Amino acid sequence: MAGLTFCNVSKLYAGTPALDGIDAEIAKGEFVALLGPSGCGKTTLLRLTAGFEVPDKGRVALGGRVLAEGNTLVPPEERNIGIVFQSYALWPHKSVAGNVAYPLEVRGLAAAERKRRVAEALDLTGLSAFADRAPAQLSGGQRQRVALARCLVADPQAVLLDEPLANLDLALRGAMQEAFAAFHRRTGATMVYVTHDQTEALALADRVAVMEKGRIRQFAAPEALYDRPQDCFVAGFVGDGAVVSVDRAGSPVDGKVVVHALGQEIEARGHGTTPTHICIRPEQVRVDADGPITARVATCTYQGGRFRLSLETPAATLIAHAPERASIGEAMRLSLHSPWAFCDPAGLPAKDDGHA
Amino acid sequence: MIATSANPISRSPDRLISLLLLPVALIALGPMLRLLGEGFGIGSELTLVHATEVLSRPSTLTALQHSLVTAGAGTVLSIVIGSVFAFVVALTDIRAKAALVFCLMIPMMIPPQITALAWMQATGPSSVLLKTLGIAPPLGSPQPLYSAWGISLLLGIQHASIIFLTLRAGLRMIPGDLVEAARISGARGWRVWAQIVLPLSLPSLAAGAAMTFVTALGNFGIPAMLGIPARYSTLPTLIYQRLVGMGQSVLAEVAVLALLIGVVAIAGVLAGRLFLRRRAYGLVGLASQPLSLSLGRKRPFVELFLWGFILVTLVVPLLALVSTSLIPAYGVPLTPDTATLKAWVEVLFNQPVTRRAYANSLLLASSAAVILMAVCIPLAWLMQRRPTQLTRVIDALVDLPYALPGVVLAISCILAFIRLPFGITLYGTLTIILLAYLSRFLVVMLRPVQAAIGQLDPAMEEAAASAGARLGRRLFDIVLPLSAPAAAAGAILVFLTAVNELTVSALLWTGGTETLGVVIFNLEDSGDTVMASALAASIVAVVIALMAIVQLSSSRLPKGTVPWQG
Repeated sequence: MAGLTFCNVSKLYAGTPALDGIDAEIAKGEFVALLGPSGCGKTTLLRLTAGFEVPDKGRVALGGRVLAEGNTLVPPEERNIGIVFQSYALWPHKSVAGNVAYPLEVRGLAAAERKRRVAEALDLTGLSAFADRAPAQLSGGQRQRVALARCLVADPQAVLLDEPLANLDLALRGAMQEAFAAFHRRTGATMVYVTHDQTEALALADRVAVMEKGRIRQFAAPEALYDRPQDCFVAGFVGDGAVVSVDRAGSPVDGKVVVHALGQEIEARGHGTTPTHICIRPEQVRVDADGPITARVATCTYQGGRFRLSLETPAATLIAHAPERASIGEAMRLSLHSPWAFCDPAGLPAKDDGHA
Repeated sequence: MIATSANPISRSPDRLISLLLLPVALIALGPMLRLLGEGFGIGSELTLVHATEVLSRPSTLTALQHSLVTAGAGTVLSIVIGSVFAFVVALTDIRAKAALVFCLMIPMMIPPQITALAWMQATGPSSVLLKTLGIAPPLGSPQPLYSAWGISLLLGIQHASIIFLTLRAGLRMIPGDLVEAARISGARGWRVWAQIVLPLSLPSLAAGAAMTFVTALGNFGIPAMLGIPARYSTLPTLIYQRLVGMGQSVLAEVAVLALLIGVVAIAGVLAGRLFLRRRAYGLVGLASQPLSLSLGRKRPFVELFLWGFILVTLVVPLLALVSTSLIPAYGVPLTPDTATLKAWVEVLFNQPVTRRAYANSLLLASSAAVILMAVCIPLAWLMQRRPTQLTRVIDALVDLPYALPGVVLAISCILAFIRLPFGITLYGTLTIILLAYLSRFLVVMLRPVQAAIGQLDPAMEEAAASAGARLGRRLFDIVLPLSAPAAAAGAILVFLTAVNELTVSALLWTGGTETLGVVIFNLEDSGDTVMASALAASIVAVVIALMAIVQLSSSRLPKGTVPWQG
């Protein structure tokens, strides 16, 4: 296993940047998710790591070995990186064991050693009973595990997963998520996982890189993305809630800052420069008869155990959770409890209804 | 290995495989370019004066007129037959469609000179079948097929399946909801057909008609068998007669004639394109629900009519052919006492010429199939995964040697290979026929393989690359096994077409390199009708058996591989 380094990696497609100056460091054994809307460049970054795409600029390195930089280019065959495709890409003319054994065959391993390692990989993925089946005879989840076993059998330095759960139904996804997490714990593999499903990314990864328009907007632990987003895009894309622009604000002191927004003085959390926006999560909005903010219920949807309310105030729409159903149009008073204040680098006006 | 380019496409194994394009382009397209050069007077003694002289001869003009008349009338007949079958098979609920389509395809797959021979045995005063049944016309009455109408009739039957295939493919593209919308609007039965289905299917009908016309124009077997005895020449038979009669001295002259056929053929294709452009509709909607009209109580009658047609146009002529092959000598009636397999034994085991022809044809057909299979898998991969300007040009032009009349290709090959550097000539060798076959049938093999590779998920190969397999290994371990079924089907098709081939080999053969098609033609020409029939019947048996293999394995092949299963 080895860590991955991206240094100012850029890639153009027909003049438009698919990747625009990617800088990132993935530690050995880390489980990283690349999260973003479709077209954000996350799959390009993954394919570039595997060697199927070539960067126009910048450097990709794996454990100190340069994979791509300038005229140096290691072809995919020689990278020793495993990849699990969205379509699984199992070879239909080979059995499960044949699929898993192929990387070892190519490396010219002796038959006995090959057999031992295939058995080990099949055992690790719980597929021992299916060794002689054809891929067509397997269920979606089983095929997924064959693809995983195939990419792990050769002991790759890193494992890449391209939306591996996109083709599975909801129930199976939960089970496979647990399987991936368990797998990562057992093997300690460096894993890069591409997804557009934030639940998946936040649940699985040690760190998540949120991407948009070919750039990494924020690369942090899941709880940091949710609690302390760096800009309006991350605040709006990750998690539920509202992003509201700030009229005036002081400078943060000891992680606290007073901002003026929604016509109120609000005590918020914050660091560094003077904030321009606040991100208000549903947990930070309380329905409170004595609250300073007046709002009107716009929608009310049941989410199992609680109701999600979107509440219109004169300046913005806030999201709150409530234990009881509210009627549309009903007036309410709200109070806010330490939302997160940040300075959006673009200084763009916030969306009034930012949610996932 | 670390390459010195930022582009993975130019990694060295990829560059090696690109070298494949050179011989492919040279063999597939070289002869055609050589003929074009001849036409423009490049590198030859041919001048414009000479060309004008050849083109203004009465014999040329008569042959051109005959070609246009027979190909035109044959196309009209093909349209009638092919579209009746296409509309009924594609739109209605008749039973046993697969068997019907299979039988309709047989005339196209058996060699045209065999079709002609079989029909000649089913009509006329000397028909063994008719004499046995006691309904033969009186001796001395003319063979009705030795005429422009006879040629047109057989051309029409032989090529009806081209119309059928293109029209059925077009009908399948018509969304079922268009017909449902017409019915909801109150239209029924014939009205739906005439006002909705027919206008929407006209483009594919036009495309099929153009293809049929070009194929009929290039047909050599039927006008050779029926026209030469009646002194009725078409352009292909005129070229054949000039070249056989006068030898290489008329090469420049027949090159002009070959170009003339090429020009007429291309004009036919362009006319079809022009019509298509003016009448093409963008069809919007899902074709998932195929049109299906219930024939109700009329169904048995429609089925009876279609099978009756198959009986008359396929079964009766083949029966006549077999009857003739079973008599001891021409003129002897067929009775249980006279029936003998003598002619079969003679052609299959005794006659050196027929045995040699079998050996030559099988060798040529299998070599062409194997070589093309070996070339087409990497070629199709290259076209699909590493498209360049050059692969696109080749992709667009490989149809040409197959689509243009066989005489055009044959003359091109003679011109291209008669005088090679170092005084080598391939004229009169099996190699020249093989090269012509490789050029002509490349596309027959390439298209199914392209279909198979086009349907391959690129991730299959990327997964292998990630597993450490280099290009050669990936092609061998992943692409080859996954495209093998299509390649096998393509190989059988090449084999079938090559065994049937007469037009190209008729102009390229010499003593010792005769093919089956040539020998049937020569046997009949020299009056050995019984032996010709026995040889022809044995070939029909081989062809139908090979077609049956393709048919039976069609469920395991990618869509679009078996030409008669759209």
